[in-house]
Amino acid sequence: MSIPTTAFTPVEMLRQQEAAARYTRPALWLQLAILALFILEPWAISSFRVMDVAAKVMIFTVLVASYDLLLGYTGIFSLAHAMFFGMGAYSLALITHHAGGPAWWHLPLAGLVALVLAVLVSLLVAFFSLRLKALFFVVMTLALAQFADILSLQWHSFTGGEDGVSFKLPGVLAVDWSGGSLAGVPLNGRLLSYYVVLIVAVLLFMGLVRFVRSPAGRVLKSIRDNEQRATALGYKTFNYQILSNVFSAAVAALCGVLYAMWVRFVDPESAMSTAIMLNILLMLIIGGMGTLYGAIVGTAFIFIAESWLADGLNAVKSYLPDLLILQRLADRWILYFGILFILVVIFFPKGLVGTARDMAARRKKRSAVE
Amino acid sequence: MSNVAQSAALELNGSQNLKKWGGWILGVGIWFLPLLWTDLTTYLVLTVAGITMGMLLFLTASGFTIILGLMDVINLAHGAFFAWGAYTGFTALTLLNKYGWVETGSLGQSVGSILICLVLALAIGWVLGVILEWLLIRRTYGSHLKQILITMGAALVMAEIITIFWGPNDEVVQTPAAFTGSIDVFDVIVEKFRLLAILVGGAVFIAMNWVLHKTKLGIIVRGGVENGEVVQTLGHNIRRIFTYVFAAGAALAAMGGTMWSIYTQEIRPDMGEENLIFALIVVVIGGMGSVTGCFLASLMVGLAFNYVAFSAPTLALGVNIMIMAVILLLRPSGLMGRD
Repeated sequence: MSIPTTAFTPVEMLRQQEAAARYTRPALWLQLAILALFILEPWAISSFRVMDVAAKVMIFTVLVASYDLLLGYTGIFSLAHAMFFGMGAYSLALITHHAGGPAWWHLPLAGLVALVLAVLVSLLVAFFSLRLKALFFVVMTLALAQFADILSLQWHSFTGGEDGVSFKLPGVLAVDWSGGSLAGVPLNGRLLSYYVVLIVAVLLFMGLVRFVRSPAGRVLKSIRDNEQRATALGYKTFNYQILSNVFSAAVAALCGVLYAMWVRFVDPESAMSTAIMLNILLMLIIGGMGTLYGAIVGTAFIFIAESWLADGLNAVKSYLPDLLILQRLADRWILYFGILFILVVIFFPKGLVGTARDMAARRKKRSAVE
Repeated sequence: MSNVAQSAALELNGSQNLKKWGGWILGVGIWFLPLLWTDLTTYLVLTVAGITMGMLLFLTASGFTIILGLMDVINLAHGAFFAWGAYTGFTALTLLNKYGWVETGSLGQSVGSILICLVLALAIGWVLGVILEWLLIRRTYGSHLKQILITMGAALVMAEIITIFWGPNDEVVQTPAAFTGSIDVFDVIVEKFRLLAILVGGAVFIAMNWVLHKTKLGIIVRGGVENGEVVQTLGHNIRRIFTYVFAAGAALAAMGGTMWSIYTQEIRPDMGEENLIFALIVVVIGGMGSVTGCFLASLMVGLAFNYVAFSAPTLALGVNIMIMAVILLLRPSGLMGRD
């Protein structure tokens, strides 16, 4: 008896099922709706603050998703993701700052420099510490990130130190450029930058989704679940881990370039510091590890909470101006983030999207049984 | 024929000797390298400063390494205990200063105030350690990912509570009068407090070794590092010992924080974070769970930091990262760690 040549492997069958259901999934419509929300945002709400939050949400979504590739899909715990982000941000800021007036070639050059730097550094880190126990990688990345932070703070002549670097962008992206208005919304540098951010972020995110669904992505998941088994199946797990590490670092660096392009100002606190790293972690955990789309939820939640919570606490503060402890309690909203962090890890380890997916899967199972 | 074999054997012996001694000569000799760019007096001053820093680092890192070795818990809140200890010491010193013990006291009062600080810091560290272990660490045994996340959150919360109680600014810490100033040994200026710090660090190292090797608790802990389940089957409540060890590590870190704050004479709410990184580097270099390795690594890190920081302060952390990378290449489990 011979095996028929037309038989499909389980993976191929899964792929075919996925492809058949491609346009009927409810998730697709949800994704399109979110995309439409971001595209139409400048026309729906004419507030710069909202637009700013929307742009940052997009950038950080990609950043958090790239971190998810590392932590949620490969199981590598790195604390240097903010460093790669900062590398990208600083490469655009420093090139435009040190190369004289604004010019178009700055943007692609910054992207290239950021990519090369991120790839080199992440390769180096991976070679030194990825083969060893998990703790070593954590320590190595934490120390490197701290070192980068110190460099950006103290190398004053090059990075501007604590004051940071502000810079201008050329042509239609410049803040003072304006070209009339379209349907009541002024066409200016801000708006065009917003759409550049949108396009690049969507492309990067799709790239990440594609990567996770690719054969290499499946190998990464198998390494996360059981590294020994993946090795026994003949995969060179180390190479795949390096690939994941380098890929996510490169995406993070590009996010940094995007961020610098949107804010036009880079300083250690907003691009390099541990606070950014903690934010990324919190966004990822709230959204859900290993889901990729959780990044959108977590990022939006944190950014909205950040702007709303600060307002609310300030209101509380102005009502009760006499209590010093209360004043300080209101000032320290990081405290509440820390508590949230712990609570989410203990009680909600799969995050919002992960829990939602679990519930959906359970319901499906139940209806299948009935 | 036999001659040839003999000489070959000799040669083999010689090359092995060379390897063995070469490592030692390189390992010891590298510490004289800074003499190339500093003169002898500066070098000796830096060496004393480096040993001091190493001893203080040892206080923080030794607790971390024992917790890691015994409980397999990565505790990134260790730096927060350090900061809490520093603030406890600061508060005690400020209070004692009102009674004239600190800035204008006799030798006895100075020693007394330091002792009070250390005891208070140990107590606070112990209490916080027990609370943290009970509340959070318990839920995360076996999952490094959860441990890292939860202890990071805890570190954040603890640092924020410090800012709420003591305010976000830097504060100046008074050194007790008897330990200010310095002694001059052949033009080498040695601050008195550095001597005290070296004394305390050395005493803790000896005490830890004594506890680990000569007492029953130490045998249980060392057994737990080797194989926790076997220790449990022998009838010891390993969970309770986990709590004690965690609290002891936290207390040591708090004590290190107090000493550190008196040494540098300033405290900040985020001081724990920076120190944690050095402690982590020390633990990785020394090997997990090894107290002696931790001691050697602390000295290495402290010395390297001071030699480099003298001429290029920005690169001091970078050099320590390089040392860590090289050691990991040569000995992936650290100086004294087991595989």
